[in-house]
Amino acid sequence: MKKRKKAQVPFRLNMLFFFVFLLFSALILRLGVVQIVYGEQYRKEVERTEDEIVSTPVPRGKIYDRYHRVIVDNVPLNAITYTRTKTTTPEDTLKVARQLAKYIDKPVEKVTERDMKDYWILTRRDKAEKKVSKKERKQFAKQGLSEKEIDQKVYKLTLERITPEDLKEITKDELEVIAIKRELDSGYALTPQIVKNKGVTNKEYAVVSEHLEELPGVSTTTDWERHYVYGNTFRSVLGNITKDDEGLPRERLDHFLARDYSRNDRVGKSYIEAQYEDVLHGKKAKIKNIVDKSGNVISTEQIYEGQRGKDLVLTIDIELQQRVEKIIEEELKAAKRSGGTPLLDRAFVVMMNPKTGEILAMAGKMFTKNEQGKVELRDYALGTMTSAYAMGSAVKGATVLTGFQTGVLHPNTYIRDEPLYIKGTPVKKSYQTMGTINELTALQRSSNVYMFKTAIAIGGGKYQPHAPLSIDPDAFTTIRKYFSQFGLGVKTGIDLPNEIIGFQGTSKLPGFLLDLAIGQYDMYTPLQLAQYVSTIANGGYRMKPQIVKEIHEPSNDEKQLGPVISEFEPVVLNRIDMKTEYIKRVQEGFRRVMQETGGTAAAFFADAPYKPAGKTGTAQAFYDGPIKSKRNAETYNLTLVGYAPYNDPEIAFSVVVPWAYQHEPHYPINNKIGRKILDTYFELKKERMNHDSEQTDSNLSTEQSNEQ
Amino acid sequence: MEKDKLSQQKLDYNLLFILFLMAIVSAIAIHSAQPSLPEKLQNVNFASKQLQWYGIGIFVIVLTMLIDYDRFFQIAWYLYGFGMVLLLGLELHVPGTVTLKGATSWYSLPGMGNFQPSELMKIFMIIVLSRIIVNHREKYPEPTIQDDFKLLGKMALTTAPPLLLLMKQPDLGMSMVFTAIVGSLVLVSGIRWRIIFAIVLSAIVVAAILVFIFFKFPDFFHKYILEDYQLNRFYGWLAPYEYSNEQGFQLIRSLLAIGSGELYGKGYKNLDVYLPEPHTDFIFGIIAEQFGFIGASVVISLFFLLVYRMIHIALESHDLYGSYLCAGVIGMITFQVFQNVGMTIGLLPITGLPLPFISYGGSSLATYMLAIGIVLNVRSRTKKFMFSSED
Repeated sequence: MKKRKKAQVPFRLNMLFFFVFLLFSALILRLGVVQIVYGEQYRKEVERTEDEIVSTPVPRGKIYDRYHRVIVDNVPLNAITYTRTKTTTPEDTLKVARQLAKYIDKPVEKVTERDMKDYWILTRRDKAEKKVSKKERKQFAKQGLSEKEIDQKVYKLTLERITPEDLKEITKDELEVIAIKRELDSGYALTPQIVKNKGVTNKEYAVVSEHLEELPGVSTTTDWERHYVYGNTFRSVLGNITKDDEGLPRERLDHFLARDYSRNDRVGKSYIEAQYEDVLHGKKAKIKNIVDKSGNVISTEQIYEGQRGKDLVLTIDIELQQRVEKIIEEELKAAKRSGGTPLLDRAFVVMMNPKTGEILAMAGKMFTKNEQGKVELRDYALGTMTSAYAMGSAVKGATVLTGFQTGVLHPNTYIRDEPLYIKGTPVKKSYQTMGTINELTALQRSSNVYMFKTAIAIGGGKYQPHAPLSIDPDAFTTIRKYFSQFGLGVKTGIDLPNEIIGFQGTSKLPGFLLDLAIGQYDMYTPLQLAQYVSTIANGGYRMKPQIVKEIHEPSNDEKQLGPVISEFEPVVLNRIDMKTEYIKRVQEGFRRVMQETGGTAAAFFADAPYKPAGKTGTAQAFYDGPIKSKRNAETYNLTLVGYAPYNDPEIAFSVVVPWAYQHEPHYPINNKIGRKILDTYFELKKERMNHDSEQTDSNLSTEQSNEQ
Repeated sequence: MEKDKLSQQKLDYNLLFILFLMAIVSAIAIHSAQPSLPEKLQNVNFASKQLQWYGIGIFVIVLTMLIDYDRFFQIAWYLYGFGMVLLLGLELHVPGTVTLKGATSWYSLPGMGNFQPSELMKIFMIIVLSRIIVNHREKYPEPTIQDDFKLLGKMALTTAPPLLLLMKQPDLGMSMVFTAIVGSLVLVSGIRWRIIFAIVLSAIVVAAILVFIFFKFPDFFHKYILEDYQLNRFYGWLAPYEYSNEQGFQLIRSLLAIGSGELYGKGYKNLDVYLPEPHTDFIFGIIAEQFGFIGASVVISLFFLLVYRMIHIALESHDLYGSYLCAGVIGMITFQVFQNVGMTIGLLPITGLPLPFISYGGSSLATYMLAIGIVLNVRSRTKKFMFSSED
């Protein structure tokens, strides 16, 4: 054995050992700092997790008619959803999209050029990188931009430089992947996003369900789609909800977000759906995602299972509504056929219970050209509250009552109906000269002059043939004030958005006061007209028109409505100032219109068993409809208001047919519609009574099953 | 010569006992990490596989001890050449090489999994560098300062080729291990303190200059000195919360796991924090989380005892070559422990080095067993001369 040990080696070995000792001491020291000094802090950090509460949508409430027939239902749809986490990257969604594309068909028409470009960059990294040269990148760097900003700039440049030829590389199959990916990307973190809910076949649904393992974030659930059982009937008033790719309406985003909505929720955006959004929108199921610091979901638990939206029961009788709409359609077509009606394109009917204000039917139809240029009848029920017309003599009841109230008329006041010659104005007269008549006859035969003279008296003027007429302009205010007590020219208070108050003429020349008195100056909506006639029918109470009768708790039983949460009580908006005695006079006048020979509508209603009362109206008007070349053409609006039976009214109505004809003889469309809708109402009532007596315990379930 | 025969049997039971404790710690730690592993690895029982590797390791030790370590002295250059061929093969991507996470560092051995030649090369480096030092010492019994530089030059020339190849793979961790081996051998080789201090000082100066350039001329630095991915290691290490890159993320998780273990730990199998690579690179985090500061200190102490035992063997050896071999092994093991534990507690940047003897892994365990075998070999051939005075 060689012996070559040197004395210095042990020393150096000890030095080595000393270094080892130092290093290990450093480790122990640092370990002590981490575990003992900061240990508690780290432990607390580990224990701290974040709870993310996520709401998942529930079906909206259904809408029923007054007899509990479903008008708006929910149809379950198979849906494939995707929920992204906070850490999901475009690469992740691309992977999922590619997998999903194997299992489902997805229409590609929504794919935008931008989607394709993003996809192109993501899948063709090398080529995309060449689009922006290193030199340019460096130039950005020289501008002192941060790396993030540079990346953004480069990405933008790359997007700009992708040519159509580049995009041609994208195959049909890839296009489908893009279509799916854009849905995946459009969601919000931890909020389920619908990837496909229309036309998901059972096979697709099953295959995706089977492969959920390899599709992180994807899940198969049931989505709901609004189904309108009666098709177009009443459709425009029911309103719409936003589409799933539309989400919350931007203008009310804050409003909804503050109320726990997610950005991709579907909400009511018009009319009943919008007005009763709070009711129809259910309470979402709440799921608590426990998330660690880096955003990974550790566990989920359901903290509230959710409840679907509450159900609405409308005051509408959907069968009456349906039939009324049919009557309007038939009569519109008949009027068109009769000729002389080139401007006629619409007609409205509002039927309400004069005692409660409940609206039983609210219909409007309008001829419009559809996209193919074919003329068709479209639902325009909304027009009953969003469009206004000169209503003509129908308002004379209000004029007479205003006369009584202002003291210029008293019950049984006789006035001479004669042509009025006012200087500077064409002659003003009734359609025939009636001689000296009282207010009853004036209403019965629809005397214009009686109303003119009443208006002149209200205005403190004095009529002298061939002399100029001067009246106090305040008379406009007086008449309008009293008219508004009937609802004419003010909001009716209906529980729907976008109601208009009509239009007021601005000029206060004396001649217009006379026109105002016969309903040819200010314009009112068909709904206002119905409220007006209801006020007369029920003895002077202006009722708030209501379209929702009850709100019901959602029930799990498909056939049975849940318990009532709230019921809408009739609301009296105001009592008109006129004494009951005065109102009785007008009611009698209205009765004569329909039941006594010589009444303007007697020919149509005298034989009606339900004894109606009412008032016709023909207004000289100027066309302001959709045909531009005919604007301001002279035309006539036909209206009818009424109620039945005259002594204990249960139904009040208004019929409005703007621009109904241009010259005599005319087709009496207002009376035709009026008679038919009243007949229908009483027929249905009789049917229902028979039905009820046969089957006293008739319940919802039988009614519904009959319906479907 | 009877004494010789007796001394042949001389085994260091202390060292073997420490090794035995290491095996137990390793099995427990790996077993407790099993539930945190990704699903695709769940069907492999890593703890029992590790014990099998220990079995193979014992076989390696026995094999190593059969050969007199003087034989290693003789064939040192052949071993070095063999190792270089393997590394060059990786560089040239000859068939059978495996690239993982961008580094070509493995050969695929049929039936044995992946084999990392640099592991073997570490041992070969210890063997060849020790020989260089011994030869130099014999040639210059009274070395002048020029002789010292000559020795340094020889060592540098020998180390440079494999080191360059390692850096090209790239394998930063392994390159640092090589440097550590060279460093510890330089220390024990007897080179003048002046030179050693000068080297340390210049290393510090270079580091300072680099930091200066980094802050003053970032463009130049990015372009010519370090690639972004390399810089990311430093970012992740120094500011893990600001730089949520992979390294930063791993460090945060690791600190959370270890820190929340506190003094006494959470108890066996109570793991709250997800750690990446829990059975290999981050096994120390698993231990520290479950057994706290006390458990972690015990493990570190175990390594310290191991090193102490090896220093003892090196000191006892009458043979310079044996001492150098031990010093090399000490440098290698110490550095790896320091690096692995240090990275989990934020003391050093994160590199993919396993914790010797504890981390799961066949080829690395086999290498350490080989190293242990060499140390035991040195020990078993150290004779106590009856009449020699203790030096």
